[in-house]
Amino acid sequence: MLQCIFLLSDSGEVMLEKQLTGHRVDRSICDWFWDHVISQGDSFKSQPVIASPTHYLFQVVREGITFLACTQVEMTPLMGIEFLCRVSDVLSDYLGGLNEDVIKDNFVIVYELLDEMIDNGFPLTTEANILREMIAPPNIVSKVLSVVTGNSSNVSDTLPGATGSCIPWRAAEPKYANNEVYVDLVEEMDAVINRDGALVKCEVYGEVRVNSHLSGLPDLTLSFANPSILDDVRFHPCVRFRPWESHQVLSFVPPDGEFKLMSYRIKKLKSTPLYVKPQLTSDAGKCRVNVLVGIRNDPGKTIDSITLEFQLPPCILSADLNSNHGTVNILGNKICSWTIGRIPKDKTPSLSGTLLLETELERLHVFPTFRVGFRIMGVALSGLQIDKLDLKTAPSRLYKGFRALTRAGEFEVRS
Amino acid sequence: MAPPAQSQRSPSPSQPSGKSEVSDLKLQLRQLAGSRAPGVDDSKRELFKKVISYMTIGIDVSSLFGEMVMCSATSDIVLKKMCYLYVGNYAKVNPDLALLTINFLQRDCRDEDPMIRGLALRSLCSLRVANLVEYLVGPLGSGLKDSNSYVRMVAVMGVLKLYHISASTCIDADFPSILKHLMLHDSDTQVVANCLSALQEIWSAEASTSEEASREREALISKPFIYYLLNRIKEFCEWAQCLVLELVTKYVPSDSSEIFDIMNLLEDRLQHANGAVVLATIRVFLQLTLSMTDVHQQVYERIKAPLLTLVSSGSPEQSYAVLSHLHLLVMRAPYVFSSDYKHFYCQYNEPSYVKRLKLEMLTAVANESNTYEIVTELCEYAANVDIPIARESIRAVGKIALQQYDVNAIVDRLLQFLEMEKDYVTAEALVLVKDLLRKYPQWSHDCIAVVGNISSKNVQEPKAKAALIWMLGEYSQDMQDAPYVLESLVENWDEEHSAEVRLHLLTAMMKCFFKRPPETQSALGAALAAGIADFHQDVHDRALFYYRILRYNVSVAERVVNPPKQAVSVFADTQSSEIKDRIFDEFNSLSVLYQKPSYMFTDKEHRGPLEFADELGNLSIGEAANNVVPTQMVEENDKDLLLTTSEKEETKGSRNNGSAYSVPYDGSSTSVFASQTQIESAVSNPTLAGHSPQASFAIDDLLGLGIPAAPAVLSPPQLKLNTKAALDPSTFQQKWRQLPVALSQEISVSPQGVAALTAPQALLRHMQSHSIHCIASGGQSPNFKFFFFAQKFEESSNYLVECVINTSSAKAQVKIKADDQNTSQDFSTLFESALSKFGTS
Repeated sequence: MLQCIFLLSDSGEVMLEKQLTGHRVDRSICDWFWDHVISQGDSFKSQPVIASPTHYLFQVVREGITFLACTQVEMTPLMGIEFLCRVSDVLSDYLGGLNEDVIKDNFVIVYELLDEMIDNGFPLTTEANILREMIAPPNIVSKVLSVVTGNSSNVSDTLPGATGSCIPWRAAEPKYANNEVYVDLVEEMDAVINRDGALVKCEVYGEVRVNSHLSGLPDLTLSFANPSILDDVRFHPCVRFRPWESHQVLSFVPPDGEFKLMSYRIKKLKSTPLYVKPQLTSDAGKCRVNVLVGIRNDPGKTIDSITLEFQLPPCILSADLNSNHGTVNILGNKICSWTIGRIPKDKTPSLSGTLLLETELERLHVFPTFRVGFRIMGVALSGLQIDKLDLKTAPSRLYKGFRALTRAGEFEVRS
Repeated sequence: MAPPAQSQRSPSPSQPSGKSEVSDLKLQLRQLAGSRAPGVDDSKRELFKKVISYMTIGIDVSSLFGEMVMCSATSDIVLKKMCYLYVGNYAKVNPDLALLTINFLQRDCRDEDPMIRGLALRSLCSLRVANLVEYLVGPLGSGLKDSNSYVRMVAVMGVLKLYHISASTCIDADFPSILKHLMLHDSDTQVVANCLSALQEIWSAEASTSEEASREREALISKPFIYYLLNRIKEFCEWAQCLVLELVTKYVPSDSSEIFDIMNLLEDRLQHANGAVVLATIRVFLQLTLSMTDVHQQVYERIKAPLLTLVSSGSPEQSYAVLSHLHLLVMRAPYVFSSDYKHFYCQYNEPSYVKRLKLEMLTAVANESNTYEIVTELCEYAANVDIPIARESIRAVGKIALQQYDVNAIVDRLLQFLEMEKDYVTAEALVLVKDLLRKYPQWSHDCIAVVGNISSKNVQEPKAKAALIWMLGEYSQDMQDAPYVLESLVENWDEEHSAEVRLHLLTAMMKCFFKRPPETQSALGAALAAGIADFHQDVHDRALFYYRILRYNVSVAERVVNPPKQAVSVFADTQSSEIKDRIFDEFNSLSVLYQKPSYMFTDKEHRGPLEFADELGNLSIGEAANNVVPTQMVEENDKDLLLTTSEKEETKGSRNNGSAYSVPYDGSSTSVFASQTQIESAVSNPTLAGHSPQASFAIDDLLGLGIPAAPAVLSPPQLKLNTKAALDPSTFQQKWRQLPVALSQEISVSPQGVAALTAPQALLRHMQSHSIHCIASGGQSPNFKFFFFAQKFEESSNYLVECVINTSSAKAQVKIKADDQNTSQDFSTLFESALSKFGTS
């Protein structure tokens, strides 16, 4: 049972306070919390659950905003954390992003949302679709409307149908002139590659995102060509379990709008689309760096937005690094970032230069880890393929669309 | 209401900031209050917004209460909401003014818009002003019967709020039974869920005083009700599902087919997108199958994938919470996860608390087949930029080495660490090599060759230096220049700041002397002289002791200081298995994140003696503790070394270390005395444990002085009880019904007692030793309930006791009934005295 929620700005200022139960939580807890955060320093983020002298605190930090919840009783930690994550998701969805100003400008909406999301410390409705019907988002359209019509209330007059419906994620029967449904496969590849090029670990975390604008109560079935490669799956509450268990078919009545239908994990992948070959040789207080990046396994589509980033070890006095393609920047916090973009046809991008070590040091002992970013449109690297999407009682005009995208998640190369 | 003149006065410097703005607002609000002009709502809204934003910044705007209420007569719902918010915030400090709001809130409770009805009702119940509760009952009653589920949902929560303001009003209005009816019959699952959570709270609170409430609470975990909820579980929203699942963990199925039915029904919950649901389901599975060993194993296999996915897919905060639970399971059943070790590899930019958990898991899952790869991975981290993690990973390599898998390869790695020329790596590796040598003396040749090359000047950390010195002393016969290295260390005696190092140096000099007397003699003399002159008490005492024993007889000295050793077979675990079990029982709670059972951290009163409780928890585990005799002592320096392996302060469990290195008691007593480490200590005279600080009782004890404890225990009165009393349950029940309550009182339980009360059985054994027998017991932390009985010695006069112990408040509610009412007071004193000794003996 959560007792209070605070929203703090990135300077520790209390932007919003929502007491949830009869036991008022004094604001001084925020001062304690902020001192604690500062004492931790910024190199180690403090833990998501902290015991203060009086309360247990859950914290979730998003875009510089700290969502802080307090409780004095034993509760399931995931409920506290998940709830705060939902609050931040819903707010950023409502306000079109999160930052200090947007929260301060719309604090009334934030209060209204929190009021519906949690009562007496227990989470209620956290589905953005349903909240949107109770509390209108502060978008330009509704502002214009309110000026034109003179109706200044930003709350719809009716109660959401879904609060009474047996499908809690879907509002009662919307109507569309154009019926559309889009399915996106979005994958992130996590990999760790050792200095000798050996693939230590490689797996894909993927999501199936659906954007549906369908009239009535549409009943959809989505099937994959190769569902057996999935290692583990998690579903949106709308997915029926039995059809998946027996035939690996996703059968569901979708929420209206955008949502995450399922997420999955595929492990033990055998190769990565890119190779990164770092070479560091040090001698007499200097370290020569040479990093090559190239395509290992052509995915058949262009790999773009390639970036490479690494933290220079603290014992380095200065660095002189150049590349034959793209731009190299050394940021203030000793992070070297190399933006490559696409791999050119005629040459292999390489980064080279020297690092000057601290005076007593002969050789470099701490080797940097290179973090790689990339994006491939049109391909799901895990090989997962959508077979077909069917709609029971299809309306006359129905547009279906499929897309795929893979990007680097935690893609690390050690040196 | 302040006169208007006040608002025009300029603020004096002593007034808090925002004062003039507040009075300005007051004036503007007052102008708008009566106005019916078009567009007035918009200007009101701007003003309200300002008021609320001041309130949010922390400026006290309570003086506007009257004006705000006056302005709240509006049909604009946003205005209403802002007003509700304001009123809810300030009603408590302005109970008189709050009365003003009742009127308009009550009117809104009858509005035709269900949204307004609900919101008004919620605000009404959130006023939390005790003298206004009479106005709540009516609206709540009609709210519970409202045709709209939104209003009913709000009303149910309102009942709970009312209960917290005034329990009697809530009970008198018979709300619990209305809620019960709604819970069983309402069509809306959110209403059902809210009823469930409200009733759970109300009945739990009432259970101690009302038989009916405790019966109702029991009924919540009865088969029909649990099945009613389970069959509808998919209709509940995700948060309500968590609530239901939590209730199911308390349900005890009658047979295994029921267990399988429940698990089949809930299996798809493991694939829910909400991590809280997944973990709650896992808890149900684990609890249900605790007694079925093979199924329990299958459950581990089944929950593995969902947990690993949760760890890798969620936000960092979520994955940390899940990882903590995974950590718990990995520690319980490492073999289940041994093929998934790659999931525990650390990513570069994970926070260090996550890396630390992962390192522990990697250590735990290491076995014959994966050790090589895990150690290779751990060696990568040793070159990590994050120094604490680099250290931890070297320690992890050492721990794996001590688990005996593929030691050969690991020793090579450790020796490579020594050659890495990084001071912290060298330091950690030295400590590990030392531990390793104690377990595998056969590796000494390989290790000593490398260790011999390390210049003691490059080692600065006390622990590492101590380890190096220990090795120099222990293997001085194999290391050519050991005496000379030690000698140079002795020469720099004054620059050595750590007493630990100086102690080790003394012992190492002695050992070296026994092996290579001619080369060491002069340095030993210098060391002893320096030691005796040392300002540190322990160093001084040890030097003196060595000096005297050497003068007495050199061969005796050798037997005492450097006896032949056996290899250590098992290093002590840092956390008792009982505590781990307790944490496991509290799966899906904060306990898991803190790695401590909740009784150790939830109760503020136990903050201070926390370490203490920990120790007592360990001691109470078994009778064995009482049988350990103080002669089983460890030579001091070995003990110190053992302590370094665990690093943590948790020396409590290390009682087991004693066996490997036992030396005659009289030889080591002084050195143990000197060291002031309190390992064996508590066991021989545990009654002391509860009352005297650790260090001092350790010493009392070791010297065998038997200084009597001065525990604040009441002297037992003259009532004698029959040690072999017998009473059958039906007679007990009968008597309990017939007899009146002779005495009813509240007794505090000592923190030690609370700590020892991990299960009812512990108290039963204790009370039995005081001739008070238990006839029935039950409950779970924090509430335990016991029925005791006792019989007067050589008379058939019975005493019956009902004792409810709440471990979180450390209080026991005791009701005593007696055949012979006259002696009930005596018995009560006896009972209290017995209970107060619980945990200390």
